[in-house]
Amino acid sequence: MTHLNPFLLQLSIAFPFVVGLTMFMAGGTKKLSLKCLSFLGFAVPCLIAIWLFFQYQMAEKIDYSYAFFSNLPTGLQQFGISLKLGLNGISLPLYLLAGIVGLAAGLYAINSIAERLHLYLGLLLIMYSGLMGTFASIDVFFFYFFHELALIPTFIMIGIWGGRGRRGTAMELTIYLTLGAMLSLAGLIAIYAVSDIHSFDLITIKNYLAQSPLSYTLQKNIFGLLLFGFGILISLFPFHSWAPKGYTASPTSVAMLHAGVLKKFGLYGLIQIAAPLLPSGLGHWAYLLAILALCNIIIIGLVTMAQRDLKQMVAYSSVMHMGYAFLGIVSASVLGLGGAVLLMFAHGLSVALLFLLGTMVYHRTESYDMNSLGGLSQKAPVLCGFFVAAVFASIGLPGFANFWAEIAIFLGLWQFAPWMLYPAIAGVVISAIYGLRAIANIFFGQPSPQFKERFNQSSIQDISIKEKIPVFILLIALLVVGFWPRSITQPINQTLLDNKVEAILTAQIGVTN
Amino acid sequence: MDSMTMLLGTLLIPFVSALLITIFFRRCGNAAAAISVTAAFLVAFLSIYFLYSWDGLPIHPYVSWFDLGGLTVNMGFLVDKNAAIMLLVVGFVAFWIQLFSIGYMKEDASKGRYFAGLSIFTFSMMGIILADNLIMLFVFWELVGFSSYALIVHYKDTEEASAASKKAFIVNRVGDFGFLVGIVFTYWHFGTVDLQALSLIVKINPSLVSSLIAFLLMCGFLGKSAQFPLQVWLPDAMAGPTPVSALIHAATMVAAGIYFLTRIFFLIPHDILQLILWLGVLMAIYAGFCALAQNDIKRILAYSTLSQLGYMAAAVGLGYPGLALFHLSTHAAFKALLFLGAGSVINALHHEQNIFKMGGLVRRMPLTTITFAIGLLALCGVIFTSGYFSKDAIIESSFFVDKNICILLFFAAFLTSLYMGRLFWIAFFGAPNSINAEDAKESGFFSTLPLIILSICSLIAGYTVLWPEQLSAAFLTELTDVHHLVENASMTKIFLIYGSLTWILGLGISYFFYGCGAQKDRLAELMPKLFSFLRSKLWFDEIYDFYVARIQQRVANLLNFIDVVIISGLFVRGSAGIIGVLSLGGRSLHVGSLHVYVYWFLAGLLLFSAFAFGWF
Repeated sequence: MTHLNPFLLQLSIAFPFVVGLTMFMAGGTKKLSLKCLSFLGFAVPCLIAIWLFFQYQMAEKIDYSYAFFSNLPTGLQQFGISLKLGLNGISLPLYLLAGIVGLAAGLYAINSIAERLHLYLGLLLIMYSGLMGTFASIDVFFFYFFHELALIPTFIMIGIWGGRGRRGTAMELTIYLTLGAMLSLAGLIAIYAVSDIHSFDLITIKNYLAQSPLSYTLQKNIFGLLLFGFGILISLFPFHSWAPKGYTASPTSVAMLHAGVLKKFGLYGLIQIAAPLLPSGLGHWAYLLAILALCNIIIIGLVTMAQRDLKQMVAYSSVMHMGYAFLGIVSASVLGLGGAVLLMFAHGLSVALLFLLGTMVYHRTESYDMNSLGGLSQKAPVLCGFFVAAVFASIGLPGFANFWAEIAIFLGLWQFAPWMLYPAIAGVVISAIYGLRAIANIFFGQPSPQFKERFNQSSIQDISIKEKIPVFILLIALLVVGFWPRSITQPINQTLLDNKVEAILTAQIGVTN
Repeated sequence: MDSMTMLLGTLLIPFVSALLITIFFRRCGNAAAAISVTAAFLVAFLSIYFLYSWDGLPIHPYVSWFDLGGLTVNMGFLVDKNAAIMLLVVGFVAFWIQLFSIGYMKEDASKGRYFAGLSIFTFSMMGIILADNLIMLFVFWELVGFSSYALIVHYKDTEEASAASKKAFIVNRVGDFGFLVGIVFTYWHFGTVDLQALSLIVKINPSLVSSLIAFLLMCGFLGKSAQFPLQVWLPDAMAGPTPVSALIHAATMVAAGIYFLTRIFFLIPHDILQLILWLGVLMAIYAGFCALAQNDIKRILAYSTLSQLGYMAAAVGLGYPGLALFHLSTHAAFKALLFLGAGSVINALHHEQNIFKMGGLVRRMPLTTITFAIGLLALCGVIFTSGYFSKDAIIESSFFVDKNICILLFFAAFLTSLYMGRLFWIAFFGAPNSINAEDAKESGFFSTLPLIILSICSLIAGYTVLWPEQLSAAFLTELTDVHHLVENASMTKIFLIYGSLTWILGLGISYFFYGCGAQKDRLAELMPKLFSFLRSKLWFDEIYDFYVARIQQRVANLLNFIDVVIISGLFVRGSAGIIGVLSLGGRSLHVGSLHVYVYWFLAGLLLFSAFAFGWF
C-alpha cells in the first residue's frame, strides 16, 4: 500500500479538479447526483490527507524530510520546472488543514441554497484542488501556480455569490491580493534568477544556497519583497484592510477556505521558503516585522473589540491572530517556527468554525449586529454550545490546539526580545474580552428590543444534523490536537530539527548582526 | 490497583462523565445527575483509598505531552504532602456538594448542562492538584476558569449571570496574563518548568530566585483567589447556582490560588512574600467591612470567603504555607457547609436571597439552622471548632513576625463574627418577614445529609490527631512550631482570651445592635453615610467600569475609526483613487479627437528634434 502513497498525493489534487470541471458541465443533471458527485470530490482528498498524515512517520523520506515524493515532467525542464510533489513536517499539517477545512466548507456548501449550485460547487472544488496542491508542491513554481488556482475562483465566487457590497469588494480584493502575489512572485523569481542553478525545485535551491549563500544585500532585498508580498496576503498590519471587507462579503464556504487555509499560503512561504533560503534577510527584517506583528495583536485586537458586526469581528480577530504567527517566525527557532506552523493549523480550523457558526447565527436571526441580538440560547442551546467552544478555541483555551501554538510562540519569543512578551500576551486578554462579549451579546440574557419580534414570532430552530456535521469535523480536529498535541508536533519538530533550521538561521543572523 | 491507576482514575473519571453527559444525556437530567454523582463518588473514594495506601513519599510519574525544539512539556503527576491534602479536600467536598445538588437542582430544566459542568470542573481541579509542571498546571488552571464560567452562566437568560460569567473569566485572564509571562520567564531563567526540578535548582542555587518572576506568577493567584485588586469578580459570581458557589467559589477553586502558592513557595523571595502578606491582611479586613453592608445572603458569604482567603494568603506571606493549607482544609468544610445551608434556605424560600426577607427560620428549618450555626461557629473561630485551630494558628504565628499584623488579623476576626452574627440573627431568628419565609420547609434528605456530614467535619477537622499521618505532614510541623513559640512566650492563655473576645464581642454586638429578625438594616438608618461608604466597596467596580466603558472602549473605537478612515480609506482607497485619476488623464489622451492627436504629434516632434539637436 505504501508505494501508492505518492500517487494518492497526486490524486488528492487532481481529483477535486476533475470533479470541479465536471460540475461546470453538469448544469442540467439532477440536484442529488450533483451533490453526491461533489461530496466525493470533497471527501476523497480529505480522507487521503488524513491517511497520509498517519503514514508520514513510517514513510520513506528524501532530503528535508519530504515524504511521498513524486516527480512528473512538465515539458518545462529547461526552465527548471517540474511537478515535484511531497510533504514534509511543515507542509503536512497545512495539507491536512486544507483537507479538513475543505471538506467542512464543501459539506456546508452542498447543503446551502446557492443559485447555480453546480457552478458554485465546481469553483469551490477547483479552489480546493489548488489548496491541496499549494501545500503538496516542492517546486516553487507550482507552489505559486496552485495558489493562483485557488485564489482566482475566490474572486469569482465573491463577485457572484457574495453578500452586501460584493462587486466593489471583489474588485478591491482582486487588485490588492494580486499586488501581494505579484510582489512575492517577483521575490521568488529573484531567487531563481540569482541562484545560478536556475531551478525552481526547492530541494535543489536549498542544497545550493546552503553551500553558497547569497550576499547580505541580495538576501535583504529579496526577503523584503517576499515579506511584503506575502505580508499583504496574510494581512500583516497595515496591509490588512482587505480582510475584514473581503470576509464580510464572501459566501461562508469561501470565507472558511480563504481565512482558514488560503491565507496561510503566505506564512507557509515565509517558513518553508523565505526563512531557510534567506536567513540574513529574516535577520534584517525581523525587528520591523515583530513590531508590525505586535501592531496586529494590540491595535487590531482593540479594533476587533470595537466591532458590532459578528462577521467583521471574526475577520478582524483572524487578522489579529496572524500577528502571533509572525512573532513565531521572527524568533527564528524551532520553538517559534513550530509554534507558527501549529498556529496556522489551529487558527485555520477555529476561524473556519467561527465563520461557519456565524452564518448559522445569521440564518436564525437575519442580523450580524451583535448589539441587536441576545437570548438566542433559549432557542438554540446546542448552537450556543458550539459557538462557545469555537470562541474559546480561538481565544486559546487549553484543550484546543490554539493554546499549544500560542504557548510555543510565547516561549520562542523570549529569545528574540523578552519585553515583547508583555504586549503579545496582553493580546490574550483582549481576545478574551471580545470573544466573551460576542457570546454574551448573542446568546445570553434576554433578546434586545430589535430582535424581540423575530424572536417571539418565528420558530427559530436549533442547529440541524446537516449543519452539525461540518462543525463536528472542525471541532474534533481542534480537540484531538488540543488534548494530544504530540500527534502533530512530532512531524513538525522532526522536520525542523532534521533541517537544522535553527542552526542555519542563528548562524547567519548572528554573522550579519 | 497501583497508585498510578488510582491517580489517573481521579483525573479521568470526571472527564469521561462530562463527555458521556454532553454527548448522550444532555436531555435526561436525572441520568446526568446519576452519572456525575457516581463519578464524584468514585473520585472521592479513589483519592481516599490512594491516600491510605500511600507511603508519604513524593510520586512523580510522567509522559511526554508536547515536544518542540528544546521544549518538552510533560503530562505528569507530582503527589507530595501538599497535593495529598488537596486531593482529599477536593474529592471529599466535591462529592457532598454534588449530592446536595441533586436536591437543589431538582426542578431545573438544564440539569444535564449543570452536571456536565460540575464534572468538567472536578476534572480540571484534579488536574491542578496533580500537575507536576507549571504549563500543565496552567492548562488546568484555565480549564477551571472555563468551568467556572460555564457554571456561573447557568441561569443564562438573566443579564446578571451573563455579565457575571464574562467578568469572572476576563478578570481571571488578567491575572493569567502575569502568570503566563511568569511561566515563560521561569522556563528561560531556570531552564525548566517542572516543579520538582525547579525546587532542586533553587535548593542548589538559591540566588536564582527572582522577585520579578515570583511577582508575575503571583498574579495568577491574585486572579484565581480574587485578591486585591482582582477581587471584583467573586461577589458577582454568586449569580450561579448555590452549590456551584459552595464548591467553586468558596471551597475549592478560589483556594487553588493558595494551593498554587504553596506549590511554588520555594520560588518566592522575601519581598514578594511581604507583598502577599499585606495584600492578604488588607483583604481580610476590607472584605469584612464590605460584608457588613450586604443584604444578599450569598454575597455576605462571598465576602467572607474573600476575607478567609486573605487569612490564607497572609499565612503564606508569613512563611507558613502549611498553616495556609490547614486553614484551606477546614475552611473548605465549614464554608461549603455555610453555602449549602444558604442554598437550603434559598431553595425553601423560592429563591429569596435577601436576609431581611427571611427571619424566624429556626423554627421552620431546625436542621438547617443547627448545621448553619455550626459552620458559623467554625468560621468565627469559636474554641474547639475547626476554625479555632486553623485561624488562630495563623494569627498567633503573625504575632512573632509583626505585631501590627496580629492586631489587624484579630480585628478581621472580630469583623467576621460581626457580619456573620448580623446574618445569623436577622435571617434565622425573630419573626418571618415575608410570605416565603412563613411557608419555608426543611429540605429533603439529599440536601440535609451533606449538611450533617459537613458540620461534623467542621467540628472535628481541627484535631490533628484525627488526620492520617501522610496528610497532616503538610502542616503539622508548622503547627507545632507555632505552638512552641506561643508556649515559650507563655501566651497561650492571652491568645485564647483575645481570640474568644473577638467572637463573643462580634456575635454579641451584632445581636444587640441588629436584633433578631430585623426588617431593616439599623446601621443604614443610624449612619446612612457610613453604610453607603461600606456598600461602595471602595468603588473598585465603578473604577473598572469607568476604565472599560470610557477609556478602553473609546480607544478601541478611535482605533477602529483610524483603521477604517485612514488605513483602509485614505491609503488603500486613496492610492486606488490616485491611479484612477491618472488613468482618467491618460484616457483623455486617446479619445479619438483629431485635434488632440495633432497637438500630441507636434509635441512629440518637438521633443524628438530637441533630442536630435542635442538641446538637452
